Amino acid sequence: MMSLEQFENRNVSESGYYKVDIESYPETGWEKAKQVFSRAIRGELFVGLWVVMREMIKFDIHTVQYPKEKLPVGPRYRAVHEMQRLWESGTERCIGCGLCEKICISDCIRMDTKIDENNRKVVSEYTINLGRCIFCGYCAEVCPELAIVHGGRYENTSEQRAHYTEYDDMLTPFDMALKGEVPEYPGFGAVTPHEDERVKSTPLAY
Amino acid sequence: METAYFIETIIKIVVILLVFSALAGFGTYFERKILAFMQRRLGPMNVGPFGVLQIAADGIKLFTKEDIVPTNAVGPIFKIAPVITAATAFMAAAAIPFMPQFTIFGYTVHPIVADVNIGILYILGVMAVGFYGPLLGSLASSNKFALLSAARAAAVFISYEVVTGLALLAPLMMVGSFSLIDFNNYQAGGVGDWIIWSQPVAFVLFWIAAFAETGRTPFHLVANDHEIIDGFGTEYSGMRWGLFFIGEYANMFFISFVIVLLFLGGFGDGSVFGALMFLLKMAFFFFFFLWTRAAWPDIRPDQLMWLCWKILMPLAVLNVVVTGFVMMF
Amino acid sequence: MEAIAFYTFAILTTVMFLITVLTNHALYALSALAAGMIFISAFFFMLGADFLGAIQIIVYTGAVMALYAFGMMFFDTTRTVVESRTSPQIIFGLSGVAALTIVAIFVAPIISGNITALYPAIDGVGNSQMVGMVLFTKYLIPFEVAAIMLLVAMIAGIVLAGKKMDQSLTLMKDEVECETKEKENV
Repeated sequence: MMSLEQFENRNVSESGYYKVDIESYPETGWEKAKQVFSRAIRGELFVGLWVVMREMIKFDIHTVQYPKEKLPVGPRYRAVHEMQRLWESGTERCIGCGLCEKICISDCIRMDTKIDENNRKVVSEYTINLGRCIFCGYCAEVCPELAIVHGGRYENTSEQRAHYTEYDDMLTPFDMALKGEVPEYPGFGAVTPHEDERVKSTPLAY
Repeated sequence: METAYFIETIIKIVVILLVFSALAGFGTYFERKILAFMQRRLGPMNVGPFGVLQIAADGIKLFTKEDIVPTNAVGPIFKIAPVITAATAFMAAAAIPFMPQFTIFGYTVHPIVADVNIGILYILGVMAVGFYGPLLGSLASSNKFALLSAARAAAVFISYEVVTGLALLAPLMMVGSFSLIDFNNYQAGGVGDWIIWSQPVAFVLFWIAAFAETGRTPFHLVANDHEIIDGFGTEYSGMRWGLFFIGEYANMFFISFVIVLLFLGGFGDGSVFGALMFLLKMAFFFFFFLWTRAAWPDIRPDQLMWLCWKILMPLAVLNVVVTGFVMMF
Repeated sequence: MEAIAFYTFAILTTVMFLITVLTNHALYALSALAAGMIFISAFFFMLGADFLGAIQIIVYTGAVMALYAFGMMFFDTTRTVVESRTSPQIIFGLSGVAALTIVAIFVAPIISGNITALYPAIDGVGNSQMVGMVLFTKYLIPFEVAAIMLLVAMIAGIVLAGKKMDQSLTLMKDEVECETKEKENV
């Protein structure tokens, strides 16, 4: 599972910067000749040859063969949405409140709800137009039940400009949920770590 | 006898054509792989095991692509230019002995198409004609970047012809023959007899000039990478562009053969070991073309001219003079 | 065999040089000239003068390439050049001379039956060796004179072309910048 640790150190430029010593241009013929000879004798060309040869012998390949291997994305990356289930019962978390539809600034979420035989409100239809979605994350922020979250699927190839993702595709498969294979979701839309310390008690007379 | 000779020559020509067209293809594969490894990449991996069949994929792509001749281009010359490059590259191979002579079914085969007694001059001449390919192609394609490339090509080729010729003069004086077989026999005595020990300056000069003549990286000014486009090949597409490519790679192979034959003993005494060493030495020089491409930056045209006329040419002349004095006394 | 080769290359050479003269297109003319020069070397090869053939190729490819460089500078090589014919008399005169020359060339073989080669090719001696022997014995003085002339031409070329060679473009200050600085100083 993805974790935040490897993304936490953002100080990429702490070390490794130094000023390049640029020589002044040679002016006289004698200085030019000296430059040529010093460069020829220092064997800079061979240093270059050695460096690439060393890398070839070390064979420390950094290629990611993309369709076969994928780099991990950050857990808080906002890619295609997912619908979560409850941990133990596997019931759908979505209660059909419609807040995500309301808050969506690009107006790409559509939902229909109905009252089922148990007198509970359930989602009958739920689509997100990914062609319009700007992946702002408001839907995941506003969701009171932590039902809609942003997952890690970033491949959005499609045959048409407006392509949709349906409720059933976003929903965590039921058997996975029953087997307990749905861990606590750490990504965007989830409760951030140390949330308890940041929660302030609301006065009753507010 | 006459017919046997005729048939033998035809077979040799066909074999050389096929082997080196295929090798040119494999050359692109090796180049991509080696460059990739040196830059910590993998190179082609998806077509076939380790991407070997990438050559076939590229071939199919090149052959089936649309052949575009731009509206304002000079049609006939635009079309013939790539053919000049490829054809002259293979014509140059006629005077190169690729292996020591061997006997098969009681018939002695000399793996050289034509043992003319001016072999090295012939190779230089035909390679010089090969420069017309990029030059004509870029002049005819009515594209200003191609025209700039043509200007650079003309300057580089004319200049480095001088260095090649002068660098070769000293070893030629020692051997006293233009034939590559005579060169080989001169050095047949073993490693100690190689001309590189007596003519190190000529060797280095010829090697440097070989980079200019094949248009490889430190002197890759014909197709200038800095302009992001392909110089003389800007307007070319499909197999015409592919012919330029085959010509370039075939030239790299042939000049590697020539360097080994001239300075590094060729195939020695003609044993199987000698032949294997010959191919190995050739492979090293081919590899070096790719190695420098990974390691070294291109130099500016004015630096190239400066290097040619102020460093290499005087050195070559000095080398000839010194060799002359040493041979005289 | 030799006759076929001779006539093929004769026709090819003539056609190439005709194109060179008759076309209005700089690129066609130059390419045809180069091709013609290379086809001429075929005659040297047929006569057993391998060395001269190879030299013909090397020298004339370089020379024509220099012509290409000039063509590049003076013309748009992808367009036809519009020529203005100011004096028809000269054209008439020159073409007359050319016609006479062609007649002379075709008549020449009739007289040339009894020409013998001054330096016939000797079996077993390399072509280059023979050229070297003749060049450095009988024709030594013309050879050296030609060398001196080329040296003179080269030095003259360098002197003419190299007037501002000691100035470095890299170190050249921007003129505007210098002027503003001068004003500031004042």
